[in-house]
Amino acid sequence: MSQAPSRLKVMKLEELLRRDVWDVDEERHIEVLKQEGLPLKALQLLCPMGCYSMAGERLLMSYEGCVECGTCRVLSKPEQIRWEFPRSGRGIQYRYT
Amino acid sequence: MRIVVGVKWVPNTQAVRIDPETGTLIRKGVPSIVNPHDLPAVEAALRLRERVGGEVIVVSMAPPPAVKGLELVLGMGADRAVLVTDRVFAGADTWATSYVLSRAIQKISAEIGRVDLVLFGHETIDSSTSHVQAQVASWLDWPYVYYVSSIEPLGDNAVRVERELEEYEEEYVVELPAVVSIAIKAMKPRPVSLQSKLRAKLERRIITWTNADLKLDPRCVGLKGSPTVVAKTVDMPEVPRKKEVYRPRDPKDAARWIIRKMVEDEKLREVMKGIVGDEL
Amino acid sequence: MAKGGGLFNLSKFDVVVVGAGPSGSTAAYLLAKAGFKVLLLERGRGAGSKLLWGGKAYAEPLRKVWPELDKEAPIHRWVTKERISIVWGERALTLEYKLGRKVAFTSPLPELAGWMAKKAESAGALLLDEVPVDEIVVKEGRAVGVRSGNDFVSADVVIDAEGANRILLEKLGLADRPSPYDMALGVKEVLSLDPRLIEERFGLERDEGLSWLILGDITAGIPGGGFVYTMRETIGIGLVLNIGHAAVAAEKGILRDHVSRLVEGLRTHPYFRNYWREADVIEYGGRMTIEGGLRFVPKRLYSNGLLVVGDAAGMLVNTGYTIRGVDTAVTSARLAAEAIIEARDRGGFTEENLRAYEEKVRESYIYRDLVEHSGIAEIFDDPFFFSKVPSLATRAASKLFEADYGEPSLLEAIKRSAEEEEISLLRLMLKVGRVVRRI
Repeated sequence: MSQAPSRLKVMKLEELLRRDVWDVDEERHIEVLKQEGLPLKALQLLCPMGCYSMAGERLLMSYEGCVECGTCRVLSKPEQIRWEFPRSGRGIQYRYT
Repeated sequence: MRIVVGVKWVPNTQAVRIDPETGTLIRKGVPSIVNPHDLPAVEAALRLRERVGGEVIVVSMAPPPAVKGLELVLGMGADRAVLVTDRVFAGADTWATSYVLSRAIQKISAEIGRVDLVLFGHETIDSSTSHVQAQVASWLDWPYVYYVSSIEPLGDNAVRVERELEEYEEEYVVELPAVVSIAIKAMKPRPVSLQSKLRAKLERRIITWTNADLKLDPRCVGLKGSPTVVAKTVDMPEVPRKKEVYRPRDPKDAARWIIRKMVEDEKLREVMKGIVGDEL
Repeated sequence: MAKGGGLFNLSKFDVVVVGAGPSGSTAAYLLAKAGFKVLLLERGRGAGSKLLWGGKAYAEPLRKVWPELDKEAPIHRWVTKERISIVWGERALTLEYKLGRKVAFTSPLPELAGWMAKKAESAGALLLDEVPVDEIVVKEGRAVGVRSGNDFVSADVVIDAEGANRILLEKLGLADRPSPYDMALGVKEVLSLDPRLIEERFGLERDEGLSWLILGDITAGIPGGGFVYTMRETIGIGLVLNIGHAAVAAEKGILRDHVSRLVEGLRTHPYFRNYWREADVIEYGGRMTIEGGLRFVPKRLYSNGLLVVGDAAGMLVNTGYTIRGVDTAVTSARLAAEAIIEARDRGGFTEENLRAYEEKVRESYIYRDLVEHSGIAEIFDDPFFFSKVPSLATRAASKLFEADYGEPSLLEAIKRSAEEEEISLLRLMLKVGRVVRRI
């Protein structure tokens, strides 16, 4: 099989994220309240924007790249993750989707 | 107190990409936003108005789509917005921009009411010159204080401002009218509120002025009135990052590990020496 | 509560609609046209800025609201080709159908929803964006308005069009937080490509489009599928994955890569990649959709002064081979608007008078489809269909088409493949029969 052109190389998530536009809120709209009982691997692999990662034993949530899809919301209980929408129209600004 | 806040409509630089093949900026499909540094200035104006009464007027020199940004600022609670827009203003550098803005502020003073204070953000995310604020003050011949972290009313004719600098703080009493630029960390801008947005929309609080209103000499505005020459632009190549993860149990180990890394790295060692000297 | 200015009664409307997506804008449009004073509230910056979908809408239900649809709407391409592929490794089995008329079209959802919101505004609805609603305010058993931050606006009727994340309905106790098995995650890339190349590669005329459903190992065994839609100068590709099953796969270590890797797997897949080999990825994102069918529909779609429409009402039909969410959202909103207009004529927006909405929904094609496809959830619960069936189908095809010496009959190929896959033919027939009945 011939070599795939460079555009057809698998892109890392970080590269994909660079294609998107956010107006990031100063205010955090999603927050891990209680890590216990959360499906850690699922959150890390399924959040489409990779907002969840582990820092040692601790689950980190970087809200800046969030697209407000709600996947982490249905994978958690209200007491585990505080989940709101950003205010003032901030957050993801989809254009061609 | 009548406060004018200058805001800039800027491309969302987070979203501007560089075409890997041509090396040029890709701006297609990049929405513009209100310069984030300007929002704390709006917040400062709103807080002043809440304390002493008066009016907050936002002014922006921009093409018509900037109305979207003015709606956001009105949604935060500003009373009116003036959009200064005309083809002859296009291509302006900071000099021509500050000239137009200062004339718009004079027109506000003459027609709407005396302007006591002009607030700006400290810089813009798309050019970061911090020129316009100082130049507006010069055109108006008003005092200018920049990088202000807090602002308090002092009677009707003065404000007390604080500047937080790296190693010390300064406090000034500034007689009005004056121009002040607010540091981005100074205060958190409030979110858009339903009632403010509703009022802005129903009462049509955006005024548009073209050069037919300002009557400025076309040779002094826009590209023609801009003495700045862009000599050269250079793309900074992306620096490949090395990532290492170290997970110690003891934070002291983590600190030691970081310091060792920094000392081992030649370039970083030079930087460190510049900071702590030869003791390193 | 902040008070409005003196000249206007700022905080009183006939109808407040929460969310300017397809359903919200439809309701606002029809009600404004019928003379109601309508406030349409949207949390995003501009209508549509939070929306992502596959890419295809069925036109006829939309024409019922906007007869001018074909001329005015941002229709990128009319779908003239439907393709279904089953993929296993580098092997693929594809079925294509050429349509005879303009049934469905492609369009980016931010653009399509933006058009719908503009229609609502031009009909007289007041659209306010950048304003999230925090609460539907209920007093004495009746929805009386909405709260955003410290501000309240009152309305005779509130229409909840908040979407699949039902923050407001859950707060009211009218819906529970859904099971992850009832939800699916859509992950999508938008590729930009010269329209002429799109037409050449897919064999399309100008304005013609292709809709492509993909099953098989591109989902790494997780119940779901892939899609490709051609827009004017972009191609949308992506995957829809059942969240419950995907989470289990992640926790068990069956799914090891991030979901974006699966979409990248589709983009760079040898069977697909040459359609768009020059294309740049210009956007990437995700959004949740509904897979629970009737299970996601709230017990009631109406109460005193309140109607629920669109995704929030579970008005989305997942047939297994296609997800219909926009035409069903528009239709549910049209029925809600009809019910509200009738209720006004009958003297008030009481529970009694608004009940007509739910009756209309029950009589509509949406409800019929929801009932008919309710079994689809069971199929999604059975990973058999997402691992065994595609591998069997492609294996059988390989026996047919990759036979170096002598070709077996189709039945023989399936039988031999089933033996190799250790699937009993009887079990296979029973399962397939069940799917055919459901779909």
